[in-house]
Amino acid sequence: MLTNFIKILLLSITLISYASITKAKDTIKIAIIEPMSGPLASVGLDFIEGLEFHAERINEAGGVLGGRHIEIVPYDNAMVAEKTIQQLRKVIDEDIRYVTQGVGSNHALNIIKTLQKHNKRNPGKEIMFLNHSAVTTSFTNELCNFYHFRFDANVDMKVAALVAQMAKDPSIKKVYLLNQNYAYGQSFQKAARKFLAERAPNIEVVGDELIVPFGKILDFNPYVAKITSSGADTVLTGNWGPDAARLIKASANSELKVQFYTIYAGIPAGINSMGKKVSTFNKVIQVTESHENDASHPEWLKEIDSEYFKFSNKSPYSDRQRFMLEMFVKAVEKAESTDPTAVGFALEGMTGRGAHGEIYMRAIDHQIHFDMVLSHVSTDVEKTFIYNNEDFGMAYVTDGWVSKEDLTLPTTCKMKRPKI
Amino acid sequence: MDVIFFTLFNGLMYGMLLFMLSSGLTLIFGMMGVLNFAHASFFMLGAYFAYQISKYIGFIPALFIAPLIIAFCGAMVEKYALRRVHKFGHVAELLFTFGLFYIIEELVQMIWGKVPVGYHVPEFMDFTLFSMSGMGYQAYAIFTLLVSIAIFLALFSVLTKTRVGLIIQAALTHPEIVSSLGHNVPKVFMLVFGLGCALAGLAGVLAGNTLGTEPSMALSLGPIVFVVIVVGGLGSLKGALVASILIGVLQTAAISLDVSINSFIETIGLTVNIESLWHILIDLTISQVAPILPYLLLVVMLIIRPRGLFGNRDV
Repeated sequence: MLTNFIKILLLSITLISYASITKAKDTIKIAIIEPMSGPLASVGLDFIEGLEFHAERINEAGGVLGGRHIEIVPYDNAMVAEKTIQQLRKVIDEDIRYVTQGVGSNHALNIIKTLQKHNKRNPGKEIMFLNHSAVTTSFTNELCNFYHFRFDANVDMKVAALVAQMAKDPSIKKVYLLNQNYAYGQSFQKAARKFLAERAPNIEVVGDELIVPFGKILDFNPYVAKITSSGADTVLTGNWGPDAARLIKASANSELKVQFYTIYAGIPAGINSMGKKVSTFNKVIQVTESHENDASHPEWLKEIDSEYFKFSNKSPYSDRQRFMLEMFVKAVEKAESTDPTAVGFALEGMTGRGAHGEIYMRAIDHQIHFDMVLSHVSTDVEKTFIYNNEDFGMAYVTDGWVSKEDLTLPTTCKMKRPKI
Repeated sequence: MDVIFFTLFNGLMYGMLLFMLSSGLTLIFGMMGVLNFAHASFFMLGAYFAYQISKYIGFIPALFIAPLIIAFCGAMVEKYALRRVHKFGHVAELLFTFGLFYIIEELVQMIWGKVPVGYHVPEFMDFTLFSMSGMGYQAYAIFTLLVSIAIFLALFSVLTKTRVGLIIQAALTHPEIVSSLGHNVPKVFMLVFGLGCALAGLAGVLAGNTLGTEPSMALSLGPIVFVVIVVGGLGSLKGALVASILIGVLQTAAISLDVSINSFIETIGLTVNIESLWHILIDLTISQVAPILPYLLLVVMLIIRPRGLFGNRDV
């Protein structure tokens, strides 16, 4: 009796593992390494969910290369840079040839450096890094690499878009720069000074501040007092998370009237935690690839948006996962292969559909280019933002678009391409 | 004049926030000798409870109910867990509260999710009370200030002027004698721990809406609280108050000063031509190093006066 039971058990194990092997052969696996635990888990999980949704959509439409499916394999790095490397080793061991990541540029840097060594030492077994959100400019400049593709605008491009919009507004005369004192904040500050001098020479920089990052500052009132006494009408800041929320809250509570030009201060969870009054007391402007209430939002994207809403019960926020996977699929079809080297060459110069015209992957540095939209937080919108059944009562209103031509910046990238 | 007023007033407001955060911790340490690593977690729980309660029955009830729930939680933690760990010494206690910190963080994430929740300043106090040199002061901020001052006065008088305070203080230094006089010493400890946690919870209720209520708030607040109690003197309520206000004023004043070593050298008519690392150092303005100043104060204090400003025993 018992031996029979063991036999059946062994047989079923063999069958199951056989089934999973055949399944593994059919799918094209993309590993995603993001925080699924710890304080930034919600960001990581949302990205994974978005990617899974778009993979599902592609699979339902018939898959890739005549029916092969895309499989998203999530790995948790708990927002610890060493863990990212550990998980990447697992990805390498499991022979997954594509890896994507985006939360935290220090994690992305670890992936770039580890893969650089791996790809050099294991010809024919190269792994490609599809970077969906890590924005440090050097990744597509001095650190550029053939097996790295970035599907988000880098810091310099985002700051250029913010400054381009500021230059259009004649009411802006004095700007105060306030940034976090670490790699990202410093590069934001450097880019802001450069583009303000080049593209908006009429705007005077009346303050330039670097603060201790990551929620260490509890009291932003002294900074608000400094901004008040500087006479600034606009604050240009790269702050995110509590550093952005507390600054904007302190300004609203002290009745300081300024505009905030930001990259990340308008993210949905952030504006919800600040509340409607604070989020709309001052104009909080953000720069993104698209948003739902934009007048030029194309019909086909609206359909995908509503499908996504049904899938996840969340309003769409970032469109990058969509065009990243779409362009990836297009490249695989074009290369007629799933080999990262062939797909890499196919991705160079590849175009795709964006929310506002065509988007393209620049061949010389593997940096994507798309039109960017400036929008501010408002309660007076057609569709409010909904996150897991919670209606935030706010969303975004377009201030203007900056075309990709205006955001095309020179690169210092000297890429070594593999020989075929 | 404006600058001096702003520095002192804002320093006081920020300092009283720090005091509320750390008073419970220093109380627990001074009375029981337990360094409670999970203190900031009770602060976070206070903010989340206040968010949940004020959603249904308003802010004012939350102000009273949330600290009471936290006090109960704290008392239960002391009675059923900490008391058992106590006999294995201080390391065991420390490790226990350290573990508790992570448990509370995970619990909060499970219940309220991982994104910040929308806990806002109550509407009836969300207006500008008065303005001074271009800066408005919100009624809620002044309310917080008044509550924290009231808390200090109440705590201080209870501990030094009343019979209860007498028993508490006696129980800490001579538990056997107090016990043989017929007082229930374990119960006294439980109440002190509960009170300490309630103070943290109250701070959470009052500050959660201005600092932002999210699962990582306990982690980012941890260090500064320890600075306050070490500088003030472990276990000294007066010390915690003075240290908090000192840190508040120091930090506010430092942020206002855009002076660096380099700008000082330049005003006396010299130019320095140094490349590389040294340049970064002399270009640092005082406002940039302001957030490090409390920690600098901690180090200096430990070197020259390890017992802190008002402490009566060395760290």
